[in-house]
Amino acid sequence: MAKHVDVVTSSEGEVFDVELEVDILKENQRLANENRARLESNGVHAIDVMGSVGSGKTSLIKAMVSQLKKSFRIAVIEGDVTTTIDSDLIASEGVPTVQVNTGKECHLDANLIRKALDKIALERLDLIFIENVGNLICPAEFPLGSDRRLVVISVTEGPYMVVKHPMMFLDAQVVAINKVDLAAAMEVDPNKLRADVARLNPKANTVYTSCRNGTGVADVVEKLGLNRR
Amino acid sequence: MHEFSIASSLAETLLDLAKKQGSTKVLEVYLKIGKLRVISLDQLTFSYEIVAKGTILEGSRLTIEETAGSVKCLNCNYTDKFEQEDLSFHFGIPPMICPRCGANLILEGGDECLITKVRMLAPSTVAESSEA
Repeated sequence: MAKHVDVVTSSEGEVFDVELEVDILKENQRLANENRARLESNGVHAIDVMGSVGSGKTSLIKAMVSQLKKSFRIAVIEGDVTTTIDSDLIASEGVPTVQVNTGKECHLDANLIRKALDKIALERLDLIFIENVGNLICPAEFPLGSDRRLVVISVTEGPYMVVKHPMMFLDAQVVAINKVDLAAAMEVDPNKLRADVARLNPKANTVYTSCRNGTGVADVVEKLGLNRR
Repeated sequence: MHEFSIASSLAETLLDLAKKQGSTKVLEVYLKIGKLRVISLDQLTFSYEIVAKGTILEGSRLTIEETAGSVKCLNCNYTDKFEQEDLSFHFGIPPMICPRCGANLILEGGDECLITKVRMLAPSTVAESSEA
């Protein structure tokens, strides 16, 4: 059967424009929304814990878990570049823990959290802490689907952590200024850090903490709205 | 270096778009990125070149428009352009307290992260004429 096909190729230099308005990070946002819906349908609160390297994120989570595990069914997702050091530490509290190693990435993303949630029996939980990779810059660009954000900094990082990383503090409900027991030795004024947070985000609750002696942990719990079920 | 993740996400979206349009070559990509995003444009461009290699995106140029944000008071409607407050840090955001009435300010705009236009080679048009 004879059948002929006319082929017209565009000549070189023939171009066309497609006008659009697409969010470059829409895929992450879509997955974050999915995570959020999944958590909500199971009645699970998720708290994104962000902060600089060595600020005490894991220690603060461990202290909160220790305080809350009698009244809440808790799981912890631990994000790191590598190792299971943090999840081993949290697992010693006897709560389910998932380690997410990003390999080379400096932040968690919604897809990694989706996979971590697959490993957790959400219907048997009330609360999840998600510890992000230690970093005050990159995680701000990747929402995960959590419903509250806790940012942890410490006096040992010096007096400029807040002013240098303003974006990280804009969406935080609670900011913990950790290691306050070392403030005098570090010659860092925690009140100055608190004032810096208040300038950026007047709605944030700033709490002074020391995970070493337990200072402020109950206050962080309360400010996160977790003091009672 | 989260710019690499962003560049990868950008490339995926562009490849998808080109495929839908039947194009085999993307020439130029227009982005709109807010100054309040924590995105280094140099690193984004550099990462994009790497991700584009070996695909129909290779050699395409990123043209990035930076958008500034503004602050707005929800109480008295005071608005002002977002200004970098302390250049010694290269980045800063203004005090989020209204200078007129003292209420909290909110940020508006300046957080865009969009693809606005893609220039590509027109697809070859295939017209089929059957003899039925």
